[in-house]
Amino acid sequence: MNLLAFLFIVTSLVTFVAGQLFLKRAMDSTTKIDGSRRRLIGLLAAGIFLMTISFFLTLGLLQRFDLSYLYPFQGLSVIIISFSAAIVLREKLTLQLTIGALLISIGIVLVSLS
Amino acid sequence: MENRPSGWRDPRLQLALSVLCVLASELLLKRGASETASGTAWSWTGINSLASPLVWWGILFVIASFLSWLYVLKYIPLTIAFPLSRVVDVLVPLSCWIFLGETISARRWCGIALVVIGLAVVAKPVARLEERL
Repeated sequence: MNLLAFLFIVTSLVTFVAGQLFLKRAMDSTTKIDGSRRRLIGLLAAGIFLMTISFFLTLGLLQRFDLSYLYPFQGLSVIIISFSAAIVLREKLTLQLTIGALLISIGIVLVSLS
Repeated sequence: MENRPSGWRDPRLQLALSVLCVLASELLLKRGASETASGTAWSWTGINSLASPLVWWGILFVIASFLSWLYVLKYIPLTIAFPLSRVVDVLVPLSCWIFLGETISARRWCGIALVVIGLAVVAKPVARLEERL
Protein backbone atom coordinates (compact mmCIF):
# COMPACT_ATOMS: atom_id res chain seq x y z
CA MET A 1 0.00 0.00 0.00
CA ASN A 2 1.44 3.38 -0.90
CA LEU A 3 1.20 6.60 1.08
CA LEU A 4 -1.55 8.02 -1.12
CA ALA A 5 -3.80 5.01 -0.59
CA PHE A 6 -3.20 5.19 3.15
CA LEU A 7 -4.08 8.89 3.14
CA PHE A 8 -7.35 8.20 1.29
CA ILE A 9 -8.25 5.35 3.64
CA VAL A 10 -7.63 7.54 6.72
CA THR A 11 -9.59 10.44 5.21
CA SER A 12 -12.56 8.23 4.37
CA LEU A 13 -12.49 6.86 7.93
CA VAL A 14 -12.23 10.27 9.61
CA THR A 15 -15.01 11.83 7.50
CA PHE A 16 -17.20 8.79 8.20
CA VAL A 17 -16.72 9.03 11.97
CA ALA A 18 -17.21 12.81 12.03
CA GLY A 19 -20.32 12.45 9.85
CA GLN A 20 -21.85 9.93 12.27
CA LEU A 21 -21.20 12.26 15.21
CA PHE A 22 -22.90 15.16 13.40
CA LEU A 23 -25.90 13.00 12.50
CA LYS A 24 -26.27 11.75 16.07
CA ARG A 25 -26.11 15.31 17.37
CA ALA A 26 -28.71 16.36 14.78
CA MET A 27 -31.12 13.62 15.83
CA ASP A 28 -30.50 14.36 19.52
CA SER A 29 -31.54 17.95 18.88
CA THR A 30 -34.96 16.77 17.65
CA THR A 31 -35.77 15.33 21.08
CA LYS A 32 -34.94 18.57 22.91
CA ILE A 33 -37.66 21.11 23.52
CA ASP A 34 -35.39 24.07 22.73
CA GLY A 35 -33.88 22.43 19.64
CA SER A 36 -34.23 24.90 16.79
CA ARG A 37 -34.96 23.81 13.21
CA ARG A 38 -32.01 25.75 11.87
CA ARG A 39 -29.64 23.91 14.15
CA LEU A 40 -31.11 20.57 13.06
CA ILE A 41 -30.75 21.37 9.36
CA GLY A 42 -27.20 22.67 9.83
CA LEU A 43 -26.09 19.56 11.71
CA LEU A 44 -27.83 17.24 9.25
CA ALA A 45 -26.24 19.03 6.28
CA ALA A 46 -22.77 18.78 7.86
CA GLY A 47 -23.31 15.09 8.58
CA ILE A 48 -24.58 14.30 5.08
CA PHE A 49 -21.75 16.32 3.50
CA LEU A 50 -19.08 14.39 5.43
CA MET A 51 -20.75 11.03 4.75
CA THR A 52 -20.90 11.86 1.03
CA ILE A 53 -17.16 12.60 0.91
CA SER A 54 -16.50 9.34 2.73
CA PHE A 55 -18.84 7.50 0.33
CA PHE A 56 -17.06 8.64 -2.83
CA LEU A 57 -13.59 8.11 -1.38
CA THR A 58 -14.66 4.56 -0.53
CA LEU A 59 -15.89 4.02 -4.11
CA GLY A 60 -12.50 5.21 -5.36
CA LEU A 61 -10.75 2.79 -2.99
CA LEU A 62 -13.06 -0.08 -4.00
CA GLN A 63 -11.89 0.35 -7.60
CA ARG A 64 -8.32 -0.37 -6.49
CA PHE A 65 -8.59 -2.78 -3.61
CA ASP A 66 -10.60 -5.83 -2.66
CA LEU A 67 -13.38 -5.38 -0.17
CA SER A 68 -11.49 -7.80 2.06
CA TYR A 69 -8.50 -5.46 2.09
CA LEU A 70 -10.54 -2.39 3.04
CA TYR A 71 -12.63 -4.16 5.63
CA PRO A 72 -10.17 -4.14 8.55
CA PHE A 73 -10.39 -0.34 8.46
CA GLN A 74 -14.18 -0.56 8.73
CA GLY A 75 -13.62 -2.78 11.75
CA LEU A 76 -11.58 -0.03 13.38
CA SER A 77 -14.48 2.37 12.91
CA VAL A 78 -16.46 0.51 15.61
CA ILE A 79 -13.98 1.20 18.37
CA ILE A 80 -13.21 4.73 17.09
CA ILE A 81 -16.90 5.68 17.00
CA SER A 82 -17.54 4.26 20.48
CA PHE A 83 -14.71 6.30 21.97
CA SER A 84 -15.47 9.49 20.06
CA ALA A 85 -19.18 9.28 20.96
CA ALA A 86 -18.14 9.01 24.61
CA ILE A 87 -15.74 11.97 24.34
CA VAL A 88 -17.56 14.30 21.94
CA LEU A 89 -21.20 13.47 22.69
CA ARG A 90 -20.61 12.54 26.34
CA GLU A 91 -22.42 9.24 25.89
CA LYS A 92 -21.97 6.75 28.68
CA LEU A 93 -19.35 4.20 27.66
CA THR A 94 -19.48 1.35 30.14
CA LEU A 95 -16.81 -1.34 30.48
CA GLN A 96 -19.30 -3.77 28.97
CA LEU A 97 -19.81 -1.61 25.86
CA THR A 98 -16.04 -1.13 25.49
CA ILE A 99 -15.42 -4.88 25.64
CA GLY A 100 -18.25 -5.49 23.16
CA ALA A 101 -16.91 -2.88 20.73
CA LEU A 102 -13.37 -4.31 21.03
CA LEU A 103 -14.58 -7.87 20.35
CA ILE A 104 -16.53 -6.68 17.29
CA SER A 105 -13.52 -4.71 16.00
CA ILE A 106 -11.10 -7.62 16.40
CA GLY A 107 -13.69 -9.99 14.93
CA ILE A 108 -14.14 -7.84 11.81
CA VAL A 109 -10.37 -7.65 11.30
CA LEU A 110 -10.10 -11.47 11.61
CA VAL A 111 -13.00 -11.97 9.20
CA SER A 112 -11.37 -9.74 6.60
CA LEU A 113 -7.83 -11.12 6.95
CA SER A 114 -8.63 -14.61 5.79
CA MET B 1 -33.39 6.42 26.15
CA GLU B 2 -36.95 7.66 25.98
CA ASN B 3 -40.20 5.84 25.49
CA ARG B 4 -39.94 3.97 22.23
CA PRO B 5 -42.69 3.40 19.69
CA SER B 6 -43.61 -0.15 18.65
CA GLY B 7 -44.42 -1.85 15.35
CA TRP B 8 -42.82 -0.30 12.27
CA ARG B 9 -41.63 2.57 14.41
CA ASP B 10 -39.68 0.26 16.68
CA PRO B 11 -36.06 1.51 16.45
CA ARG B 12 -34.78 -2.09 16.65
CA LEU B 13 -36.77 -3.04 13.56
CA GLN B 14 -35.48 0.06 11.79
CA LEU B 15 -31.92 -0.90 12.79
CA ALA B 16 -32.45 -4.34 11.22
CA LEU B 17 -33.86 -2.76 8.04
CA SER B 18 -30.94 -0.35 7.90
CA VAL B 19 -28.48 -3.25 8.19
CA LEU B 20 -30.17 -5.23 5.40
CA CYS B 21 -30.05 -2.18 3.11
CA VAL B 22 -26.34 -1.73 3.90
CA LEU B 23 -25.76 -5.40 3.05
CA ALA B 24 -27.49 -4.98 -0.34
CA SER B 25 -25.70 -1.70 -1.05
CA GLU B 26 -22.21 -3.06 -0.26
CA LEU B 27 -22.58 -5.97 -2.66
CA LEU B 28 -23.98 -3.69 -5.41
CA LEU B 29 -21.35 -0.99 -4.91
CA LYS B 30 -18.44 -3.42 -4.96
CA ARG B 31 -19.67 -4.94 -8.24
CA GLY B 32 -20.41 -1.52 -9.72
CA ALA B 33 -17.06 -0.04 -8.67
CA SER B 34 -15.14 -3.00 -10.09
CA GLU B 35 -17.04 -2.63 -13.38
CA THR B 36 -15.89 0.97 -13.75
CA ALA B 37 -12.28 0.61 -12.56
CA SER B 38 -10.09 2.75 -14.81
CA GLY B 39 -6.96 3.74 -12.94
CA THR B 40 -7.03 7.43 -13.90
CA ALA B 41 -6.23 10.13 -11.35
CA TRP B 42 -9.84 11.27 -11.18
CA SER B 43 -11.04 7.80 -10.32
CA TRP B 44 -9.56 8.25 -6.82
CA THR B 45 -12.63 10.34 -6.08
CA GLY B 46 -14.90 7.45 -7.10
CA ILE B 47 -17.07 9.74 -9.22
CA ASN B 48 -16.51 7.75 -12.43
CA SER B 49 -18.25 4.80 -10.74
CA LEU B 50 -21.52 6.66 -11.33
CA ALA B 51 -21.35 5.26 -14.88
CA SER B 52 -22.49 1.90 -13.54
CA PRO B 53 -26.25 1.32 -12.99
CA LEU B 54 -25.33 -1.05 -10.17
CA VAL B 55 -23.78 1.89 -8.32
CA TRP B 56 -27.06 3.82 -8.67
CA TRP B 57 -28.98 0.87 -7.22
CA GLY B 58 -26.40 0.78 -4.46
CA ILE B 59 -26.96 4.49 -3.80
CA LEU B 60 -30.72 3.88 -3.55
CA PHE B 61 -30.09 1.29 -0.83
CA VAL B 62 -27.61 3.64 0.88
CA ILE B 63 -30.32 6.32 1.05
CA ALA B 64 -32.89 3.84 2.42
CA SER B 65 -30.45 2.62 5.07
CA PHE B 66 -29.57 6.23 5.88
CA LEU B 67 -33.20 7.19 6.58
CA SER B 68 -33.70 4.18 8.88
CA TRP B 69 -30.38 4.95 10.54
CA LEU B 70 -31.38 8.57 11.31
CA TYR B 71 -34.51 7.22 12.97
CA VAL B 72 -32.44 4.75 15.00
CA LEU B 73 -30.11 7.55 16.17
CA LYS B 74 -33.05 9.40 17.59
CA TYR B 75 -33.63 6.63 20.12
CA ILE B 76 -30.43 4.63 20.65
CA PRO B 77 -27.01 5.99 21.76
CA LEU B 78 -24.24 5.77 19.14
CA THR B 79 -22.08 3.64 21.47
CA ILE B 80 -24.76 0.94 21.24
CA ALA B 81 -26.35 1.48 17.81
CA PHE B 82 -23.14 1.64 15.78
CA PRO B 83 -21.50 -1.57 17.08
CA LEU B 84 -24.85 -3.37 16.56
CA SER B 85 -25.05 -2.09 12.98
CA ARG B 86 -21.77 -3.91 12.22
CA VAL B 87 -23.66 -7.22 12.30
CA VAL B 88 -23.46 -6.62 8.56
CA ASP B 89 -19.79 -7.66 8.68
CA VAL B 90 -20.94 -11.12 9.71
CA LEU B 91 -23.82 -11.20 7.24
CA VAL B 92 -21.62 -10.50 4.20
CA PRO B 93 -19.34 -13.57 4.57
CA LEU B 94 -22.26 -15.71 5.75
CA SER B 95 -24.37 -14.80 2.73
CA CYS B 96 -21.40 -15.59 0.47
CA TRP B 97 -21.14 -18.96 2.19
CA ILE B 98 -24.85 -19.76 1.98
CA PHE B 99 -25.75 -18.32 -1.43
CA LEU B 100 -22.48 -18.44 -3.36
CA GLY B 101 -21.04 -21.61 -1.86
CA GLU B 102 -17.80 -19.87 -0.86
CA THR B 103 -15.76 -21.59 1.82
CA ILE B 104 -15.07 -19.90 5.15
CA SER B 105 -11.61 -20.44 6.66
CA ALA B 106 -11.04 -21.32 10.31
CA ARG B 107 -9.70 -17.82 10.98
CA ARG B 108 -12.78 -16.26 9.45
CA TRP B 109 -15.06 -18.48 11.56
CA CYS B 110 -13.15 -17.26 14.66
CA GLY B 111 -13.72 -13.67 13.55
CA ILE B 112 -17.42 -14.31 13.01
CA ALA B 113 -17.65 -15.89 16.47
CA LEU B 114 -15.90 -12.89 18.08
CA VAL B 115 -18.24 -10.42 16.35
CA VAL B 116 -21.30 -12.42 17.45
CA ILE B 117 -20.06 -12.51 21.08
CA GLY B 118 -19.31 -8.78 20.90
CA LEU B 119 -22.78 -8.08 19.54
CA ALA B 120 -24.33 -10.06 22.40
CA VAL B 121 -22.26 -8.09 24.93
CA VAL B 122 -23.35 -4.76 23.41
CA ALA B 123 -26.99 -5.80 22.99
CA LYS B 124 -27.35 -6.72 26.67
CA PRO B 125 -27.72 -3.14 27.99
CA VAL B 126 -30.42 -2.55 25.35
CA ALA B 127 -32.37 -5.51 26.68
CA ARG B 128 -32.01 -4.22 30.24
CA LEU B 129 -33.20 -0.72 29.29
CA GLU B 130 -36.15 -2.41 27.65
CA GLU B 131 -37.20 -4.00 30.94
CA ARG B 132 -37.09 -0.65 32.68
CA LEU B 133 -39.57 0.94 30.28
